[in-house]
Amino acid sequence: MSGKPHTRYVNTRREMLAQCSHGFGGLALAFFGAADAARAASSRALNPLAVQPTHFPPKAKSVIFLYMDGGPSQMDTFDPKPLLDKEHGQPIKMKTPVTQFNDVGTVMKSPWKFKQHGQSGAWVSELFPHMATCVDDLTFIRSMVTDNSEHTLANYMLHTGFSMQGRPSMGAWLTYGIGSVSENLPGYVALNGGLIPPGGIDNVGSGFLPAAYQGMLFRQGANPIANIQRREPSEQFQRDKLDLLGKLNKGVVGRLGATPELDAAINNYELAYRMQSAVPELTDLSKESPATLDLYGINDKSTEVFGRECLLARRLVERGVRFVECLSPAVAGADRWDQHSNIVKGHTDNCQATDKPIAALLKDLKARGLLDETLVLWGGEFGRTPMAQISGGKFGRDHNPFGFTMWMAGAGVKPGITYGSTDEYGYFAVENKVHIHDWHATILHLMGLDHKRLTFRYSGRDMRLTDVHGEVVTAILK
Amino acid sequence: MFLSVLLALAISPEQAEFFERRIRPLFAAKCYDCHGPKVSKPMGGLRLSSKSGLSKGGDSGPVVGGSADSSRLLRAVTYKDPTLQMPPKGKLSDTEIADLRRWVEMGAPDPRTDSEEPSQMSARKGIDFERARKWWSFQPLKTSPTVPGYVDAFLMEKLKEKGLKSSAPADRRTLIRRLSLDVTGLPPTPEEVALFLQDQSSQAYERLVDRMLASPHYGERWARHWLDLVRFAETDGHEFDVEKPNAWRYRDYVIRALNGDLPYDQFVREQIAGDLLPNARPEAAIATGMHFMGEVLNSPVDALQSHADRVDNQIDVFGKTFLGLTLGCARCHDHKFDPLPTSDYYALASTFYSSRRRQSMVNPPSEQIQMKQVALKAATNAGPPKPGANSSLPAGYRIFDDFNDPGLPGWTATGYAFHQAASDGMVDSARLSPVLEGQLISDEVLLVERYVHVRMRGSGLVRFLAGEYRNPNRALKADPTKGFTWQRIDVKMEQGQLAYFVLEDSDPLGGITVDKIVFSENPKPPGEDDPNPPPVQLDYAERVPPGIFALTAWDNNPHDTKINIRGNPSNLGATAPRGFLTLFSGANQVAVPGSGRLELAEKLFRDASALVARVMVNRIWKHHFGSGLVATVDNFGLSGDRPTHPQLLDTMAQRFIDSGWSIKNLHRDILLSNAYRMASTPEPQAEAADPDNKLLHRYPIRRLEAEALRDMMLAVSGSLDRNLYGPSILPWLSPAMEAFGRGKPKPGPLDGFNRRSIYIQVRRNFISDFSQTFDFPQPIAAIGKRNVSTVASQALYMMNGDLVNELARRWAEKTEALAGNDEEKIAAMYETAFSRPPTQDEFDLGRAYLAGHDHSWQAYAHVLMSTTEFAYVR
Repeated sequence: MSGKPHTRYVNTRREMLAQCSHGFGGLALAFFGAADAARAASSRALNPLAVQPTHFPPKAKSVIFLYMDGGPSQMDTFDPKPLLDKEHGQPIKMKTPVTQFNDVGTVMKSPWKFKQHGQSGAWVSELFPHMATCVDDLTFIRSMVTDNSEHTLANYMLHTGFSMQGRPSMGAWLTYGIGSVSENLPGYVALNGGLIPPGGIDNVGSGFLPAAYQGMLFRQGANPIANIQRREPSEQFQRDKLDLLGKLNKGVVGRLGATPELDAAINNYELAYRMQSAVPELTDLSKESPATLDLYGINDKSTEVFGRECLLARRLVERGVRFVECLSPAVAGADRWDQHSNIVKGHTDNCQATDKPIAALLKDLKARGLLDETLVLWGGEFGRTPMAQISGGKFGRDHNPFGFTMWMAGAGVKPGITYGSTDEYGYFAVENKVHIHDWHATILHLMGLDHKRLTFRYSGRDMRLTDVHGEVVTAILK
Repeated sequence: MFLSVLLALAISPEQAEFFERRIRPLFAAKCYDCHGPKVSKPMGGLRLSSKSGLSKGGDSGPVVGGSADSSRLLRAVTYKDPTLQMPPKGKLSDTEIADLRRWVEMGAPDPRTDSEEPSQMSARKGIDFERARKWWSFQPLKTSPTVPGYVDAFLMEKLKEKGLKSSAPADRRTLIRRLSLDVTGLPPTPEEVALFLQDQSSQAYERLVDRMLASPHYGERWARHWLDLVRFAETDGHEFDVEKPNAWRYRDYVIRALNGDLPYDQFVREQIAGDLLPNARPEAAIATGMHFMGEVLNSPVDALQSHADRVDNQIDVFGKTFLGLTLGCARCHDHKFDPLPTSDYYALASTFYSSRRRQSMVNPPSEQIQMKQVALKAATNAGPPKPGANSSLPAGYRIFDDFNDPGLPGWTATGYAFHQAASDGMVDSARLSPVLEGQLISDEVLLVERYVHVRMRGSGLVRFLAGEYRNPNRALKADPTKGFTWQRIDVKMEQGQLAYFVLEDSDPLGGITVDKIVFSENPKPPGEDDPNPPPVQLDYAERVPPGIFALTAWDNNPHDTKINIRGNPSNLGATAPRGFLTLFSGANQVAVPGSGRLELAEKLFRDASALVARVMVNRIWKHHFGSGLVATVDNFGLSGDRPTHPQLLDTMAQRFIDSGWSIKNLHRDILLSNAYRMASTPEPQAEAADPDNKLLHRYPIRRLEAEALRDMMLAVSGSLDRNLYGPSILPWLSPAMEAFGRGKPKPGPLDGFNRRSIYIQVRRNFISDFSQTFDFPQPIAAIGKRNVSTVASQALYMMNGDLVNELARRWAEKTEALAGNDEEKIAAMYETAFSRPPTQDEFDLGRAYLAGHDHSWQAYAHVLMSTTEFAYVR
């Protein structure tokens, strides 16, 4: 086992050293001789976020995950089901499993009309007028399945490949697997639009992997991360303090001897100091053109929050950040994609908040040549039922882990195709099922990693993002 | 081989051809990826590529045989059952399904001879326990006689082999700071340092060690290490992060146990079965809260799976904490490395399935005697209970309990308010005396109907707990100013699950009366409310202390569970009787009457004491030296590391046992060693020979954990509240945490009322931001060794964090108030933070900085707090 390239232990001094170096790339070399530096640079053992060799050539350099919190309805967005119109109001004619609320009503047709778009002729409902113009760049998977019909567990499965709290999220696995090329920013960023998914920040955590791989949560606004804002009255004042700190630390090291642990801790302050300016530079959108801001809908209240997230996602990817997750926006009136009642208003609001920014991101990435090296993912933790739930006379849909739609776009995936299908009700995936494990395996594959070889020894086992499951969906690969 | 040829001959040529043409190619194309000849372990234990594999079937049994529709094969491929659909990637074509149906209807004729894969035909070999017991950690202790200095002797032996020497002794200032931070988690006060420096006797260090171990802060420091193992948290996590009532009492229990040097075997026994031990102190029951500190789902769709996951976590924590074994690995298959069959896992699961949680009264014995006397006297005054009369209910209503049987069958009481004498056709916690408190908990009942109606009165609660659903709002309350009223719960979400009721009287001036609990599909109550006011509460002369309740285990409905094939709780195999691991206690264990926790605690020390001692000795060693003699502190199995100094480990383990499992004795042996007293200064030659310091050629440099670092800042700034024990302080919510979503608690104070970090509430979804930043482990599994990472968010916290800046301000304020000049003030700060005077350079740097920056003592204090020396033990 120990011969595997990606099997790791956290008990050696080298490992200790790695964890003590810094969160971010490039700087671990300070305490090694020049001869060691070159070797050190390529080794995760010396710097947790040093760029790592992949198992095979990667197709994508970065991932942007547009996370649709709550579970969008497949039969109202990308997977039209004429049978629902035909049997609207009738009891469903199939055996149905227990649902979350277990008060399923009759079959409910989609309140929205579908049309085919683009050269690929992909079906999109009228909820997504902007995304509909991008379908030739999208790869739809209509046969997604997951294990749980309950938000928290399904979120953990979607993010960490395991339906319980405490496993590393896919962004953490990815930055652990291949490192990051960003010097002054973390390798994995989660942009908080105001809705933290059920299950909390563990959805973007590092689990048993070292903390260097955890997603850093960026809030909206001028100070997106904790403690990023200097408190001193002037920059010089803070610089003077850090200079004094440096001298005092050097003195102690001089008297007591240098250890990598101490050196790493000292360098860490300089990195933090630089982040204080790198992060505001990142979030300062004043240098973006008015046309770009318009494209993302940043001047419109309803699209502003997610527009900002999408634009920041592009800026993060440009700066070498490996994995960006855009969490769902809290916009006035809009909640998660989780309408057990009044799906008409709910989904309309959700789409209004995200449709234009997502289309903008895809077009902007493409225009800048970044879509070829960025993998964009769209989807929620599960889909919704073809039957109605009724509350106060307003119709909604319950949770459905048995069949739902997600899409991918960009590096390495075949654009303009639809893969897999659900049954005639849109309830169960029947053809070419893609489990979340398969989805994870495919994402890792596109980043140049074999999901079976990307392991970490924990609790006596070589753990994987895909546990003991997962198969790469080769049919959607270029 | 001969036999299979014979059997093959019984198949008609047409059948054989049908198989070869239609079925074998279909298996090969659609099934062999998971059930074929090339997979070493076929999915679900089913191999379709051989005759024997097909006829044996999978882990769930045969796949063919009987009628086509009832066969597992057809059920799977027709996709009619959402839980069993094969192939998982997509349904077969109608023709393919029709072929399979025809073939199964023929009787599934299989002309193969199985010569194709002989290697797969042998039955799975069982575990060879005799051989397995040869693994070092399962062996009896190999001890050597202990003489004073034995610890160093063992260490020196290994160093000599490498031609190394141990480092020179550390100076006294370094030593007292190291010892104080390591043993109590707090820096020594300048007075303590002075006292130690002045003590010229040869016993000075020994006396210092004794003083440190006697400090009440020792328990606080080392309890935190223990809490990491039992994934201690005070909320359930999951979506709403519901609070676990009284979880903090377990934390206080651990602190008290450690401070009192409770023998480790008793400490462990109490945690496993403190509620069952003969002649146990009431406090022992608190220890069993350990089993229930894990994550709990608030509304699982699959209640069975959720319960199985919770039990899995209990087994995992039990195994790693006490035995250093990864028992959880045996949930779906026999352990890949260790001699732990799946049947052992489920033997433990049976024990945990038979152990439920509840709140128990744990008042000290003297108080309980007092309460009991009040109850007895009141019972005499009240007279014996009378059976109630059967009253009829309208059709469609089903009685759960009308409390007409004064024996209260199916109910278990804690405290003294609910007593058989308190039942008179209804259960009344104030019938004896309103001052008594207690709870009455029911056996579990299957929820069939949609509504539960309760006829009740008074100021108490009727809690309703279905399956895992622990929402505290799911409790019924009556209007205390009224007589009997009907209260109702809609249990639509929980129908089909097991549930139970808890009648709760936590009102020292009142009580609760429950007349009936009734089920129905009808939302309307089965009767009218009582228009009369409640009876006047009798005046009472006697007062008793308020009840103290804690989260504890109790045995209820002991039963054996079945092996979950492949870990699937819906797919059951053989029964696994309650018992301990075969490796230690053998295959034929005597059946146990209760949950088996009591016997588990006994067998642990009767049959596995060597391993239990090794694991604990290694944990203590790890905390004193940064890493264990066995580096994988939670894994002593075959996939774990071997000890660097096996004889030392075993000798210490034997001494641990011989000392009556005294943890403090163990500390003393380690702390008095020369190894512990070495300097930490690295020297190039030794570093090259022993780069990981596995041989301990010097004392290792370590960063303080999150809790100790915060406590240190509180202490240095003069803010620390040194009081022990009590309910937890809510965590401060940083701006980032404000956005964390559901279950958000009220914000606690920034400085946590200056209490030590162990008293800050551990909320699964709202871990204190300081802890979170500095590697606090997620409370999900037993963690004997935390990650130590250095990430930018830590430096940002130290530079710009609210707490650090506030404590720097307080330290500056305290310093400025001191008499003396700058030089004296700087010296005082160094004594407080580093237990040493500043060097000349440090004086000069400090003076120059202050002169150049308007005497900003706050900035200077902040810099000192940020130095590496501040945060590191060396």
